[in-house]
Amino acid sequence: MASSGADTPWTDPDEGDRRVPDVGDEYDMPADVDAAFRTVRRVAVGHFVVFLGVVVAVPILTLTVDWWSEGRLIGGMTPSFVMAAVGLYVFFFLIAAGAATLSNAVEDRMLGSPEQEPPDRDGAEP
Amino acid sequence: MIAASLAVLAGLLVAVLVAGLVLRPRGASTLEFYLAGRRVGVVTNACAICGDYFSAASFLGVAAAVYVSGLDGVWYATGFAAGFVPVLLFVAAPLRRFGEFSIPDFLGRRLGSEGVRLAAVTVVQLVILSYLVPQAVGSGLTWELLVGEGVAGLSPYATGVVVSTVAIAALVVVGGMRGTTWTQAVQFLLLLAVFIWLAIVVLGSGFSYPDAVARLTENPLTNPAEVNGNWQLEVEENRLDSGEPAFFGHPGGRYGPLGQITLVVTLVLGTAGLPHVMNRYFTSPTGTAARMTTVWVLGFAGVFYALAVLLGTAARSLVSEAVADRPWLADLTVDGVLRVPEHAPLVLGRIYGGEAGLAVVAIGALVAVLSTIAGLLLASAASWGHDVYERHINPGASQRQAVWAGRSAVLVVAALSATLALLLRPQTLTALFPSIVATMVTWAFALAGSALAPVFVLAIWWRRTTAPGAVAGMVTGALTAIGLVALAPSVGDRGIGEILLAPTIVAAPLATVVTVLVSLRTTPPADVERLWLKLHGTAADRRAVRLARLTIAGVDGKKR
Repeated sequence: MASSGADTPWTDPDEGDRRVPDVGDEYDMPADVDAAFRTVRRVAVGHFVVFLGVVVAVPILTLTVDWWSEGRLIGGMTPSFVMAAVGLYVFFFLIAAGAATLSNAVEDRMLGSPEQEPPDRDGAEP
Repeated sequence: MIAASLAVLAGLLVAVLVAGLVLRPRGASTLEFYLAGRRVGVVTNACAICGDYFSAASFLGVAAAVYVSGLDGVWYATGFAAGFVPVLLFVAAPLRRFGEFSIPDFLGRRLGSEGVRLAAVTVVQLVILSYLVPQAVGSGLTWELLVGEGVAGLSPYATGVVVSTVAIAALVVVGGMRGTTWTQAVQFLLLLAVFIWLAIVVLGSGFSYPDAVARLTENPLTNPAEVNGNWQLEVEENRLDSGEPAFFGHPGGRYGPLGQITLVVTLVLGTAGLPHVMNRYFTSPTGTAARMTTVWVLGFAGVFYALAVLLGTAARSLVSEAVADRPWLADLTVDGVLRVPEHAPLVLGRIYGGEAGLAVVAIGALVAVLSTIAGLLLASAASWGHDVYERHINPGASQRQAVWAGRSAVLVVAALSATLALLLRPQTLTALFPSIVATMVTWAFALAGSALAPVFVLAIWWRRTTAPGAVAGMVTGALTAIGLVALAPSVGDRGIGEILLAPTIVAAPLATVVTVLVSLRTTPPADVERLWLKLHGTAADRRAVRLARLTIAGVDGKKR
């Protein structure tokens, strides 16, 4: 777990040797960051594959499945029209919300030590 | 009409300037001028990003594309919205955590190279100019439609270009990122309100969306064309099924088998390389806030584009029915179909709201243009002022000098874009309006997606990325994209032409391969592990959260 307090605090490479103001002794250990990076990357790639699959599937279905372009789903709208006009936006929002929630949870669990957080921690952003 | 429109426009421009003045940066600091002190909240930043991103191409162009091409026109909107998913997954949080001023600044520091910084500045300025000039053209054309009168001997078009450029340059010079952020956020809410109002009045009049799609799909899709000097309706050929007609609700009205995919790839990757959008992430207080900002952007974008598609469909269905009772539509239509599809939301506004309705929608279009111009000018200023002036021209510059360098850059870039917009003045409104605005914006996306996005993503997610690799990748992506777009007119817009018009699907993988190959043969920065902690660690985020809690606790303590 990060922030054991035994190692050198994080420094800003662009500030030379000057140490970044250290409010609350927050810093990350390289091994923890690497593990979190790999996990978040897995989350990102996984969600991107699903995103790409759905986006590419729409034109492919258009070329291969007659019902997709000719059938009726809502009133006179074809499945293809419903998906392009509304469905994809809902999908984009849901996949984004899911990926963001999961990535935030991964980082919260893998970086920073919960025992150092104040007792009234509510996860709110500044 | 003219007096009322001028009064509303004058009020709008004065409000923008007052907002800029009230919200101007506190003190002469580049952090305040370019990044609003990195204290922009999640929802505010999401609204400002939408104000930045939704230009005339989104406000008028999406409804126009649906109006003219039916289902295939929807893909413009899909691509615009989809672009933020990869931004959220791969860019937003690490970019903010690294915490620089601009894309060139990020790449230069991450890869430890001034060569990378200058190469990125060149690409960024090309992208900005490709995006800025059509916005200025759009503002001139909107003024021409809305006011129809020039000022001080200028033509209406030139007046629109000059007034909008001067007003927005003044806002950015005075208000910096703080003033620009708040005005962009309000401007986006105004755009959304215009679309919601139009949708409510259209649906309230008894318009049935599904029934309209079904009815419009019963007959082949036709659009006006000038044949031997006479306007007439021509049946659109189905690009998926040669020789057959296209239908509104079916694919094939605009794209062949490759067209949809090449367009979406260009728009998706292009979004991750747009400097005015990416710069906004540096204004978030933390990486997590930047990530959540993108979720909000996707929510707003979904509502906005779904309404744009609905309004394009409504215009296609309702304008032809309204022609008989409204003689003013005769000049704008051919057998009930609009000659200029970008008029679709404007005409709907006039049908349902009279002259006032037209003015509301036209002002929405102008607002869309102005907020995008503001973001582009600020991104350009950050690039020239921070990456060139502070780094190479006057490395010992004081904060005051650096801020004034940024302000000067705003004025120079604004003057340049206005001049180019005046030189590019379309000879006839109907002939070139769609092509100039939409085509140049697509170039900007193609260049950003081909040259910047691959290098950007690799620099964030691949430790071995090196400065020579990044420069080679950017040069390869930029030259390939420019070369393929330049070839497009000689090939046409069918078959391989669909790739040439939206070349990112070829240029981005090529740039990626070149970046990887050159990087593997060169040496990465010596302190890459330390940079990695900054990119992917959350210590700075936690520190900011803790500091905010301490500040709030202090305020509460005082109250008690």
